[in-house]
Amino acid sequence: MLDTFEILTTSGVVLWSRSYAPVSSNIINSLIRDVFIEERIQPQSGDAGQKPTYRKETYTLKWTTAKDLGLIFVAVYQSLVHLTWIDKLLDNVRALFVGLYGEQLKKEHTSKLDCSNFAPYFERQIQDLEGSSDSATSNVKLTPPSSTDNDSADEKSLKPPALRKQQHQLYDTSADSTPVPTPETSRPTTPAQHHLITGKGRPGAKLSRRDRKKASAASTQPSSGDETSAKRKAKGSAKKNRVWGEFGAEEEDSSVVLDYSQSDIRDEGSATEALEEIKQETWGRKTGKGEFVLKDIDEEMDQIIAAENAKKQSSTASGGIVGSSLGAIGGLFRNVVGGKTLTKEDLAKPLKGMEDHLLKKNVAREAVVRLCESVERDLVGLKTNSFTTIDSTLRTSMEKALTKILTPTSSLDLLREIQTVNATGRPYVISIVGVNGVGKSTNLSKIAFFLLQNHHRVLVAAADTFRSGAVEQLGVHVRNLKELSKREGGEVDLFEKGYGKDAANIAADAVAHASKNGFNVVLIDTAGRRHNDQRLMSSLTKFGKLAKPDKILMVAEALVGTDSVAQARNFNASFGPGRGLDGFVISKCDTVGDMIGTIVSMVHATGVPVVFLGVGQHYADLRGLNVSSVCRLLMS
Amino acid sequence: MAWHDQDSWLTAAFAPKLSTIVVTLLLTLLLPILLHHFIYRRATPTTLPTFLLLGPSGAGKTALLTLAERNQVAATRTSTSPLAVEALLPEGFTPASSHYRSPGDPTFERSRCFLLVDTPGHGKLRHFATAQLADLSNVRGIVFVVDAAAVAEEAGLNEAAGYLHDVLLTLQKRYTGAKTSKGPKEIPVLVAANKEDLFTALPQHLARLELEKAISRIRKSKATGLKDSGVAMGGEEDAMEDEREWLGEGGEGPFEFQQMEEVGTSVTVLGGNVLGSEGSDVKGWFEWIAEHL
Ligand SMILES: Nc1nc2c(ncn2[C@@H]2O[C@H](COP(=O)(O)OP(=O)(O)OP(=O)(O)O)[C@@H](O)[C@H]2O)c(=O)[nH]1
Ligand SMILES: [Mg+2]
Repeated sequence: MLDTFEILTTSGVVLWSRSYAPVSSNIINSLIRDVFIEERIQPQSGDAGQKPTYRKETYTLKWTTAKDLGLIFVAVYQSLVHLTWIDKLLDNVRALFVGLYGEQLKKEHTSKLDCSNFAPYFERQIQDLEGSSDSATSNVKLTPPSSTDNDSADEKSLKPPALRKQQHQLYDTSADSTPVPTPETSRPTTPAQHHLITGKGRPGAKLSRRDRKKASAASTQPSSGDETSAKRKAKGSAKKNRVWGEFGAEEEDSSVVLDYSQSDIRDEGSATEALEEIKQETWGRKTGKGEFVLKDIDEEMDQIIAAENAKKQSSTASGGIVGSSLGAIGGLFRNVVGGKTLTKEDLAKPLKGMEDHLLKKNVAREAVVRLCESVERDLVGLKTNSFTTIDSTLRTSMEKALTKILTPTSSLDLLREIQTVNATGRPYVISIVGVNGVGKSTNLSKIAFFLLQNHHRVLVAAADTFRSGAVEQLGVHVRNLKELSKREGGEVDLFEKGYGKDAANIAADAVAHASKNGFNVVLIDTAGRRHNDQRLMSSLTKFGKLAKPDKILMVAEALVGTDSVAQARNFNASFGPGRGLDGFVISKCDTVGDMIGTIVSMVHATGVPVVFLGVGQHYADLRGLNVSSVCRLLMS
Repeated sequence: MAWHDQDSWLTAAFAPKLSTIVVTLLLTLLLPILLHHFIYRRATPTTLPTFLLLGPSGAGKTALLTLAERNQVAATRTSTSPLAVEALLPEGFTPASSHYRSPGDPTFERSRCFLLVDTPGHGKLRHFATAQLADLSNVRGIVFVVDAAAVAEEAGLNEAAGYLHDVLLTLQKRYTGAKTSKGPKEIPVLVAANKEDLFTALPQHLARLELEKAISRIRKSKATGLKDSGVAMGGEEDAMEDEREWLGEGGEGPFEFQQMEEVGTSVTVLGGNVLGSEGSDVKGWFEWIAEHL
């Protein structure tokens, strides 16, 4: 069973919701964060046409959006149950909601939307879809058939007790979970179930209106609509009973409540008027009236969905030669002037151009594809602003996507982190990893220099016990740094145990040595390793466990080509579950000009931010990442 | 040809010719109409005074916005796009600008109206807020919402303080970078310590202290931190951004919100809660808004 269904705006306001079981707001928040903002989890859509799913805790979430209106429709259900009709529900509800409130939603400067009368439409959809998929399991429909066209109250005896219980449960949860201010208007169950009873004794004017509607509905319904309506008819007789049973069981006052929602749906006459009316009426008249109104909704609903579907179809289908050429001219015009609704086809060509541009900037193909998909998702269905071309819209969207991907989720203030860790009485441990020859030792020295300028006492640990000359090379750096830092006031030393020993043990020893001798930062150099060398990579797990680095930085060259994504992924995964990289240092940025796509590739592959950029040969040539300037360079 | 010649333009202008009469007639008739149009066109799109909602994600900005709009809090989720809403100051608050208007006055109603602009607080979506901060011409004040329970913890505090630091620095840059000698209009900042209903929340004076301390730390590490990549890689265009600015007085010693007064930004910290078992307590904030409306 569905746990929760929510309709919310991208600006974060829940417009309408129905929940059958309480779901923490975290669940939907993390969907928004992980999928819409950070795009960390690529929504995995199975077969073509299937909606993507997102799993969180024990829930599965499915969603759809109405881009131009800024709406998100989310369905939440337990992962254990398999619901096949959620996709259809989302589509139908979107069509209904957009059809009913589309105009209201276009209003500016308000977050309010009166959609309290949406409940019956929704309930109706649920019933239809649920019924069509598993009519055998839903006991709601299993009431014995009987004649329904009399108005006697004796019918209450027909109601099975189990059914009654379910009714109440449904009633309660919905009443307290809907955010709509007046609880009366959102009581859902009754109207939806009533509208199947055949109407009788209605005023002539209404009759004719209804019949007109019926006729038009029949003529405009697409094939899918026909199916559902057919099913509905088939179920009709079974449902009538239940309605009757429930009705008999209810108290006088709850039938009044029931009529509130009716008056809402009708949207004619005030609530008080409706109340008066009811009090004067007998049971039978009441039911007759209620059912009539609700029948109206049913047809209206099909009509709305049909209309929305038709709208969509007409926008994709091209009509005739004359039509298409006229359309082409109009499209061309709007392309220049703006105000064009973007489709996948419109975007295909400019996106291809954008793709090539980014590839030229040395962004890995995988990352480019992801960015372009994200831009496409952002733009399809959107209307371009007046006086903007597709190209410029695309550009701004791509800039946004780049900014989003490059901006770190949390602040990267290394100095403050060191302070915090030192306050707990232990040294801050940074270890540097990477493939051979990318400049690990050089960048380690640059970081050391930066820390020395901030008056830290730094211990450099030579844990590269593999490559001959590595320890000596580090020794030279440390000597230089000592020289340089004399004036600055920092202090630096080398910790080494020669070659051949286990790197993880050396690292652990270095940390112990540092805390004993009052060093507050430990920088650990590790041996370079090919990211596809299983044996060496697996030793990193032990290293991570023993040295317990506060920060693991991976050094990568700006020049690295197609390999970048695999490198980043393998290193990120090599520290065992629960531990990954904390940041990248991209070296040799000065040698590639504006082809700095590696920065994007690395972040794309892992979601780990770029912390430092190496921009030259000197110790001082280390920089933080400036997202906007990188974006500018990439888009230029 | 001198002005007193037979066929100079001046002579023609005073001659009883048909063309002269027509031109004069047109001028006298059309000029007032055009003038009227010009002036009233300019005046009609009156923009409402705006208050900006900033702050980290989950602080309660959108919740506060719905409260201001409908006197009732709607359920909210993480925002991904900004939202502007027309709100009315609740009963019992009088905008500072209409203290002497009687409540029956129609302009009184009008003066209680303001625009509240919500922005997404997530780190990756700050560009919306940055865009809002770039044009502050209609902005009367900035409401920076923080979650008083979240700032009780290291991570939450650092995020809130980092964001607040950036906002204040933007305001300071705007002030110091102004061309006119008078300096731009002052933009006050309200730090709204939200969620005071939670028992883990820091009370307003503690929230203020913690934020000040955290901003001092940020300022210090900014001063000694690395330069941005912009200069090294962006070429000349970024060269002038090289000189950096510190928040407050030269970046020395502990930071206090008081120091922002010098650059035309008064910072007020007030506690409150949008939600809570005993209803919402946002009186202080609305009073602040009324005061700057
Ligand atoms: N206990 C308590 N909860 C609150 C209060 N104000 C807001 N909340 C809750 O905090 C959560 C986040 O509120 P939002 O308004 O969505 O947060 P936001 O600042 O808009 O966050 P972003 O849109 O992500 O930037 C919601 O679940 C609110 O119900 C409060 O005063 N007390
Ligand atoms: Mg929000």
